[in-house]
Amino acid sequence: MQTGLLTYLNEAKAIWLRDMKSELRTRYAMNAILMFAFTTLIAVSFSLGSFRISDSDKPFIYAALLWIILIFSALSGLARIFVKEEEAHTIDILKLSARPQSIFLGKLIFNLTLLGILGALLVPAFIVLMGYRIASPLYFVAVVLFASLGLGAGTTIVAAMIARASVRGALFSAVSFPLLFPLMITAIKGCEKAAIQTTVAGWNEVNICIAYLVIMITLSLFLFPVIWEE
Amino acid sequence: MTQKNSENRYHLKLANISKRFGRTLLFKKLSLEVSSGEIAAVVGWNGSGKSTLLRIIAGLIRPTRGEIEYHENGNQINADERRNYIGMVAPALALYDELSAIENLEFLAQVRGLKIIRERYYSLLEQLGLKGWENANYGIYSSGMKQRLKIAQAVLHNPPLLLLDEPFNNLDTKGIDAVDKIIHEQKKRAITIIASNEQREIDYADRIINLSE
Repeated sequence: MQTGLLTYLNEAKAIWLRDMKSELRTRYAMNAILMFAFTTLIAVSFSLGSFRISDSDKPFIYAALLWIILIFSALSGLARIFVKEEEAHTIDILKLSARPQSIFLGKLIFNLTLLGILGALLVPAFIVLMGYRIASPLYFVAVVLFASLGLGAGTTIVAAMIARASVRGALFSAVSFPLLFPLMITAIKGCEKAAIQTTVAGWNEVNICIAYLVIMITLSLFLFPVIWEE
Repeated sequence: MTQKNSENRYHLKLANISKRFGRTLLFKKLSLEVSSGEIAAVVGWNGSGKSTLLRIIAGLIRPTRGEIEYHENGNQINADERRNYIGMVAPALALYDELSAIENLEFLAQVRGLKIIRERYYSLLEQLGLKGWENANYGIYSSGMKQRLKIAQAVLHNPPLLLLDEPFNNLDTKGIDAVDKIIHEQKKRAITIIASNEQREIDYADRIINLSE
């Protein structure tokens, strides 16, 4: 029998693969996320367009709109990751079979996969539809990547917390918002910088997003077994 | 695969277990010791806490008070390892609707870190009368077939501790015969605890714990 980190990763991989298989067969979370993302994007692009905002305001407003769409789309689907186990009564079989850390890692990787698909489809569509000009593409990609990873980690642990609550939807938003707010502000600032500056010194926002991600994953790995076993 | 050696001796000890949900006390100061080769039946009125006791033993919920210890050849098994020592069947326990029987069993083996040859899944499903249904989704199974697959997942890893909450639930006579064989095989090498009020299920027991007393 394998021991240590490799065992956890193999078990997490099994959970991720099962979730992917279920998602490909039901498409519940992906449909919810993409429908929300693209209906909001189309509504925003039609109502604002690229002509009604002054050029000086565009970097900030576009960055804010992009992250509002990304975060709220993510919230609409990622919260389901543990709720679906609770509703289908499969939570007990998962508890009986897998270690909490493996479960968290597997679910986190699944949520990150969904976010990756969302980002890969939504961000280019947003850039094209809104006429979003980016001066530093590398910085922009780094901010979007690491802030998305942080968003995935934050929503996954909150999803675990609210899985057994009776008013899950409201609770998920209420708990997620203060947890994700610093990340959202950082990501907006980073994307604004990427739109204005061709070379960004210091990569401050990327570093903050990486720090947020590391803190969130470390805390979650300690916190999740307590949440899971109660 | 981490098959437990059939010559190993297992021992389960419950010491002064109490469970309370809010103001409702289900049972208090319940003590029990069971060893390999023994079958214990937990009986009691509806709501007396039979299923809850099995869930506590499985580690799914915590007792309000008391201690549970599992020993293998005199050595205590830690909580992290218990998942490979316990198999459970219960009405409230479900498998994944969108996965087939084989996929469900494969997944449960993988998350337990076990490497099980594919033939084992097929032979187990055949033993439980699910031959020909291996690749059908669990979601389309009848309630009796679901119960058979629940039994299959519970014994897949040859657990030294088998917890059966109403094991004959929804089963026809062929299903009952298959589970009967499994309970007899289990008795030869490990511990079985059955929660039930059905006489034919209680008849397996070497000792009875009545939660209504």
